[in-house]
Amino acid sequence: MLASVLLNIVRKSRMIDALFNQPDYLAAKKALDAVALRQEAIASNIANLETPGYKRVDVAASFNSELQRACAARDPQEIAALKPQLEVDPNAVPVSPDGNTVSLEDELLKMNQNSLANTLETQLVSTDLYRLKMAITGTVS
Amino acid sequence: MIDILSGIQSTAAALDAERTRLDVISENIANANTTRGPDGKPYQRQLVVFESALQQAMNGTQVPTLRVSGIEKDPRPFEMVYEPGNPDADSHGMVAMPNVNVQEEMADMISASRTFDANLAVVKNARDMAMQVLAIGKH
Amino acid sequence: MLPISTIQPLMSAYGITPGEKISPSLPVTPAEQPGTLAPAQPSGDSFSTMLGKMVEEVNGKQISAAQTVNTLQAGGDVSLHQAVIAMEEANVSFQLMVEVRNKLLDAYQQIMQMQV
Repeated sequence: MLASVLLNIVRKSRMIDALFNQPDYLAAKKALDAVALRQEAIASNIANLETPGYKRVDVAASFNSELQRACAARDPQEIAALKPQLEVDPNAVPVSPDGNTVSLEDELLKMNQNSLANTLETQLVSTDLYRLKMAITGTVS
Repeated sequence: MIDILSGIQSTAAALDAERTRLDVISENIANANTTRGPDGKPYQRQLVVFESALQQAMNGTQVPTLRVSGIEKDPRPFEMVYEPGNPDADSHGMVAMPNVNVQEEMADMISASRTFDANLAVVKNARDMAMQVLAIGKH
Repeated sequence: MLPISTIQPLMSAYGITPGEKISPSLPVTPAEQPGTLAPAQPSGDSFSTMLGKMVEEVNGKQISAAQTVNTLQAGGDVSLHQAVIAMEEANVSFQLMVEVRNKLLDAYQQIMQMQV
């Protein structure tokens, strides 16, 4: 019976999806996407510390404001549609005669900040999931 | 093959490249005074040639990555020093010294070490972040 | 997955015929709130529809989580946190389904124990 149910029903229902469609939870997940992308950018920048002419890359600065705006609008679809992008940093200045724009101290600072952002967002996501489990099972495990 | 620490392929390449550079620098320094090598000639300074290759980043953009394309001999001429007592001196008393400038090598070594350490810090940081991510949902 | 043996006697008790095909055109009543069950109705279609849809959703989540993890293991374009979160969400969904099943079973047993 269950097999025929699964075969017959087109997935249109939203019951379980609604659980996870909360704006704050979605925003935390998106922020994690941006954190992971930023980590890649910083890794690339530090790896190319001495590559002549290399221009540092980072997550597009517009992403933060877009995420904040979508969060304030409490619109899950808008939040879910956001996608962080890498771009060449337009504000970076050359630190060496060959045009390389990577400043090691700057990158290490950004890496630390990114690490803290990772801690924050993973805790937010974790807490949300934990609360869901508590609500479902009725117990504080 | 699973890629838990994603996004640090360029770091691995950079660590490799800097390590090679440090090895070459130490060999240069060790042979700064070798006036007669196994081939009978003074030691010729070696240098590492890098090339920049493009790699795929997570969201599809290309990021450059550093790679060692080869180790070459420095073509700069040997320095001639007047040292008539040296067994390798020629008929005029001049000795051909290796074209290694120790100060230059030391400066190179410091910058290579710095880059190496920085990339190592990136790997450690990536690992710490991955550990936190793996703890999502656990209480 | 959800054991059929607990669903069928329960649905029979509510006058729902097990084995009937569930049509996707039937509305789920009431509004789709997470975690709330539709009140038992003598017609029965909405209740079994809702259960069927929940099972299908949970199964979908498990499958998509497994696919995400597989892509990660094969070195594909999935980041670690996406795989971990997908697995956790699938777990939570499954837990919800198990709790619903437990509550249904409790309700059924309570009813069966009523003195008539």
